[in-house]
Amino acid sequence: MSRPKLAVDIRGLMKRFGRSTAVDTVGLSIRPGSTLGLLGPNGAGKSTTLRMLMGMLRPTAGSINVLGRDLATEAAQIKQRVGYVPDANYAYRWMTVERVIRFCRPMYRHWNDDRCAELLDMFQLSANKKIGSLSKGMLAKLSLLLALSHEPDLLVLDEPLSGLDPIARDDFIEGVMRGICSGTQTILFSSHQLDEVSKLADDVAIMNHGRVLIHRPLDELLSSFKRVRAVLQDGRLPAVIPKGTIWQSVNRREWALTVQDVDDTLIDQLKSENSVDSIEVAELSLDELFRDFIRGDETPDDQRHEKAQCEAAEC
Amino acid sequence: MIIDPRNSNPIYRQIVEQTRDAIDAGVYRVGEALPSQRALAIEIRVNPNTIQKAYDELERLGVVEARRGLGVFVRDRKSNAARGKTEKLMDAAFRDGIVEGLANDVSPTRIRELFESSMNSSLSKARKRQ
Repeated sequence: MSRPKLAVDIRGLMKRFGRSTAVDTVGLSIRPGSTLGLLGPNGAGKSTTLRMLMGMLRPTAGSINVLGRDLATEAAQIKQRVGYVPDANYAYRWMTVERVIRFCRPMYRHWNDDRCAELLDMFQLSANKKIGSLSKGMLAKLSLLLALSHEPDLLVLDEPLSGLDPIARDDFIEGVMRGICSGTQTILFSSHQLDEVSKLADDVAIMNHGRVLIHRPLDELLSSFKRVRAVLQDGRLPAVIPKGTIWQSVNRREWALTVQDVDDTLIDQLKSENSVDSIEVAELSLDELFRDFIRGDETPDDQRHEKAQCEAAEC
Repeated sequence: MIIDPRNSNPIYRQIVEQTRDAIDAGVYRVGEALPSQRALAIEIRVNPNTIQKAYDELERLGVVEARRGLGVFVRDRKSNAARGKTEKLMDAAFRDGIVEGLANDVSPTRIRELFESSMNSSLSKARKRQ
């Protein structure tokens, strides 16, 4: 089969549970060999999206294409090429590590015993230990070992690092890094560990309330959004909020805004349309940008201005 | 190398800066190879494409030289970076002189003459010292 243009192509994905919409017209695409970090606060719909991608949950609407195949009709073939590390704990508590490996092995045509042994050694997992007695870090590593031993083309990790101590986290990331370095394995991981995402991801997508707020290459995202800090003249409030503003706040005379595509023209316009004394532009880290996207999304557009006025009035 | 993802200085630039510091401190000497893209990626747990971007930048700055299939090697910095800095200083000094002359109605031809004569006297002084 020829290599598809996209390793993952999700369009118009919806999931409703009763009246609530957990995933709302989500579109995501991942180039083969690249790493996408899916970000969002708890309850944003990340896990639900990943579970639909893994065929564990049926979408209300939308299409999912994985490695050039349609998930609705070719789920079994897709499963052979995908490794999944769920966020939930391991089920087979009574089995030993070795037993679990022997149990999973026949499910995959491409299982690689050498790779499995290498990972077992690297993660220092003892084959005869009971699953029930493993620490959270060890369980996560075992879960990754099972996902990587059949050398999947796509690796899906749901909150892989949450609750792991720094040493276990390092081991886990090292296991994942080998795939990233191969350049052929596509990786999708959800996380709120922004430090790790900014170090590992090629692209990021930020979700909130079931929707994707932005989906971009990470370096492009960090270079296009900037924090603008303007000092307002005495007794004045912002008059015109620039286009491309994702979040803003007024505190005393300081007007802070996070804006897309900040250039000289935008700054000149901001100066001419508002009564400000000075303007400063600063770069943002992913951590700060993520907060601004979420905070901005929590404030509806029509209320943004009023809210800014209230905050200014209080001081 | 310690990468701080919360720093608004992009990660690739942090790698560039810390690699330059490491070269200055003598961790990597002229002619030696930097760690491979893959090895450094695993060591500092950073996407290998970011390492590549940092190494490309170091090459653009003349700090290292990439040899196809072999790796990335530290260049002789006296012959590039240091010289580049010196030339910048020289250029600034020349400019000051030219601007001063033009502002006081000294003709471009006369400025060139003066440059040649101060060059000649400096060279002869340097020869005498040897």
